This record gives sequence, C-alpha cells and structure tokens, in this order.
Amino acid sequence: MNKKTKWILWGVFLIFLIVYPLVFGIYYTNVFVTFTIAALFSVSVNMLLGFTGFLSFGHAMFFGAGAYGTAIALAHIKGLPLLISVFIGFMSAVLLALILAPLVVRLSVTAFAMIHMAFGMLMYTLALKLRNITGGEDGIGGFPIPSFGVPGIFSIDMTDPTNFYYFAMAIIGFTLWILWFITKTPFGCLMVGIRDNAKRIDYLGFKLPQTKGVVYLIAGGCCGIAGSIFALFQNLISAYELHIMHSFTPIMMIMVGGVGSYFGPILGAGIFTMLGELTTRYTERVELVIGLILIAVIMYFPLGCIGFYHYLKTKYLKRKAA
Amino acid sequence: MNILETKEVSHDFRGLWALRNVNLQIEKGERHAIIGPNGAGKTTLFNVITGTYVPSRGKVFFKGKDVTKAKPHDMVRLGMGRSFQITSTFPRLTAFENIRMAVLSKRGIRFNLFQKVDKMKSITEETDAILKRINLDGERDLPASALSYGKNRSLEISMALSTDPEIVMLDEPTAGMSRDETHTAVELVRRLTEGKTTVIIEHDMDVVFSLADRITVLHHGEILAVGAPKEIGENQAVKDAYLGEMEV
Repeated sequence: MNKKTKWILWGVFLIFLIVYPLVFGIYYTNVFVTFTIAALFSVSVNMLLGFTGFLSFGHAMFFGAGAYGTAIALAHIKGLPLLISVFIGFMSAVLLALILAPLVVRLSVTAFAMIHMAFGMLMYTLALKLRNITGGEDGIGGFPIPSFGVPGIFSIDMTDPTNFYYFAMAIIGFTLWILWFITKTPFGCLMVGIRDNAKRIDYLGFKLPQTKGVVYLIAGGCCGIAGSIFALFQNLISAYELHIMHSFTPIMMIMVGGVGSYFGPILGAGIFTMLGELTTRYTERVELVIGLILIAVIMYFPLGCIGFYHYLKTKYLKRKAA
Repeated sequence: MNILETKEVSHDFRGLWALRNVNLQIEKGERHAIIGPNGAGKTTLFNVITGTYVPSRGKVFFKGKDVTKAKPHDMVRLGMGRSFQITSTFPRLTAFENIRMAVLSKRGIRFNLFQKVDKMKSITEETDAILKRINLDGERDLPASALSYGKNRSLEISMALSTDPEIVMLDEPTAGMSRDETHTAVELVRRLTEGKTTVIIEHDMDVVFSLADRITVLHHGEILAVGAPKEIGENQAVKDAYLGEMEV
C-alpha cells in the first residue's frame, strides 16, 4: 500500500466517523462511543501486555481513577472547563501509577499480575467504603457536564449525544494516535525488547525498571483518559468500574483481537461491542456467549483475530509461491 | 595497563564456593581466554564481572574504577559488551531490529518518544552496515528465532559488539556449533574484536590456542595457571587437571 492510498483510506475513515451519527442515529452513536472507550482502555492495557509483556489484572483501577477524578472534580468545582476535567482524570491515573510504579516495576511477570489484582480489589473496596468521597455503591452521578468552548466566543453543549460523540472521538482518536506513535519510536523498540528478552535489554545498557516505569505511566494515564470520557459519557460512575471483572474485559478483548499487535485490541473491542449488542436482543446471558467465544479463540487461534489473519496470509503466500 | 582486574574475588552459592580468591588481570588490547573443566567457575566469574552478581568477597576494577557493585547496564555504559552461553537474542524481532537495539544503546537513545525510529536514517544505515559486515544482510528481515543456530549465535556476538565496547566478554561463543559453524564464528570473532580487549570462555582447545594471546586456567574456582598458550600447553598442573582429559 503506498502513501497515497493510505491517506485516501484515512480520509474515507474520517468522513465515515463524521457522518456516522447522522446516519445511524443516537442509539448507535452511543454504542460507538462505548466501543471507542473500550478500545482505548484495551489498547492502553495492551501497551503493557502485548508490547512490554506484563499482564495486569488490575487496570480497572486506573480507569476508575480517571473516572472518579473527573467526576469528583466536576461535582465539587463549579465552572470547571471540559478539557481540564479530562486532564484531571488523566492526572489522577498518572498519580496512582506514579505511586505504584516504584514497587511494581521490579516484580516478575506473575507477581506483577497478582499484585495488581490485590491493588485493584483494594481500590474497589476503598471506593465502596469511602462513602462521603465516592458515594459508595451509588457512586457519583448527576454532576454537571460542562460545555466545550471558549467563554464568550462559542460554546457547544456536551449533553447532546452527537456533540459528545465528536468530542469523544477527538480525544480518544488523539490518544490512540499518540499510543500508536509511541510504539514506532525507539522507546517502542525498547518495550518490545523487554517483552522478548529483558536480560538482553539490561546487558545492552538500558535501565530496566525505569523503562518499565515509563510504559506503566503511559498505560495508566491513557486508561485514565478512557475512564474520564466514560464518566462524562455516562454522567455516572460507580464502584463497579473498579471491580476486578472490569479489569478482565480489556484482557479478553486483547486476547480475541490479537495480542502483540497494535490494532488487535481495537478489533477485539469492536467484536465484543457487536456481540454484546447482538446477544442482548435474544438473551441476557451475554457473558456466556463471550466466554464461549473466548474459549474457542484461545483453543484455535491463540494469537487472536490478527494472528489468524497473519496465519492465513502466510499460508496464502506459501501456496502462491509453490 | 590492566583494563580489567579482579582482586581476591570469591563467590559463595549458599555454601558452595564457586570462586575462591580469584585475581584475574586482563591487559588492554589482548585476547584473553578463560578455560577450565565444567563447573570450574568460568561463567560465575563472568557474572561477577559483568554485574549479574555482586561477589561475596573481593573487588572488581574496570578501567581503574571500582565496579564491584555495578549493575549490568552500568557496565555496558562504562564500555563492556557481553554474550551468553545460551544464546540471548530477541527471538521475535528481526535480525535488523536486534542489531538496531544495540545501535540505539550505543547512541544513548533511551527515552526517545518523539521520533519514529524508521525515519532515523543514520541508525538504519549503521545497522545495515553491521549486518553486512557479519554476512546477515540476506536474513535482515527474518526473526531471530527463524535463523539457524550458528547465525543466531553470530547475531548475538555482534549485538554485544555493536554497542562499541572497549572490552568484550564472550561466554562460549562456539558452544553447540558444528565444525563449519565454529570456523566461521572464530573468524567472525577474530575480525570483529580486532583492536579490542576480548575475554573469551571457550571449551574448544583449537579455538583457544588459535585466538588467545594469554590464557587463564580455572579449576574448582581457583586460578591454576596464567600464561601464553604455549606455556599453558606445557604446564603439568594444567595437563593433569584439564588438558589431560582430552588426550587426542
């Protein structure tokens, strides 16, 4: 694919994104926003899992930190601008990552996964118990959603789903682009190197814990952005977003979409959203369907859909060569 | 001048003294081989020098600096390269990406999140030049796991050398290689380490005697003899402990 066709395809995609809410209506616009939030969440987790080789069972806490950060800030500060509220969500997730990083970057892969489960449950319990801050089981809801704009010049109402859709697309698209760019930089090479052979990275003169720490902050912060958009989108955030099940969701999406590839988790998020939409029409047992599909994927294409695509491609090329 | 020195280094693995009062001296510019039977402590000595372990007793000096407690990345930044007994490359990365990692390290590019690596022309050029020098340009885009054993091994050796170290520590570079591959690898080592201080652990006596300027013989964690290949070949203690076992 040359550069020109690539740009044309991106252009077509952009036009698709712009006309999407006009064509599909409010319901499917909201479904699409849910999908992109899930996509950003799983891409962030995949920065750790697929690129750096660290599995985390507790990334919902960063999602929750972002969501609670934004929600609490909006509930308490009057007239807080929209972008600042997202930034506060991002920063609360980064702060949480900064606190945990010195400990977790020195752990082995298994310990890393387990300690995240523990911290994740701790955050969940804290959100339930610290009722006067987090609202406990009821969560925080009904906080004002600020308009987007410059005071006195223009202002766009963000309670309108179509407007919010454009806003969410812009923020999530931008964050996804940054994450994609990072995987292409020399630092991205380092991440993949740690996944493949951490000892070698050390013996090439790179500092392991520091490098892992930076990846950790990036992944945590971007989960926070996903959480922040989620809070604005739902106008409600409850302790469930911190629950361990919510940490598993991105991992399942990554597994189904394709671990180790950048676009795999996005594909996985898309598949999960579509499955959720389709199955709820017939049954309430969405988890059952998703679980069965996950088992099938792990048994037959352990590298997910993207892995399966590459498998078919090499097979096709081989047949062509023969 | 000694570029690398260990002073009375001992290392204790929970009661097993793998090294006992080892005084190793490596002169600048020489090719120094460390030989000895299995379990003599050769790799432990390497691990102590390159920063994997802190020795239980004794000190390590590199370029006159006390590096006893230095970590592997510190040693690499001071100018040391190392290869491992069990091949240690990045299996899922291509040969090109493997070498590029070393080139990035050499240039001190560690936290660059703002530039696409594919667009950094000088890095690509340097990496390609290295691949050409080690005859891997044909396998440029193959993952390291798809390379033959010998080629993967050369890839590792040249990775250790691509950070442009002053001293190279090679842990059995020809381990597990066929006769032909050994020959190629020895030529590669000879060519790439030209003018660099090299410390090499080796089992193949032909390789040792053809490559090394000086030899240190380790036995039960102690230094049995040090000297030029000829002296070592004639040393009775060495013959009894080691060479004698491999009567031709």
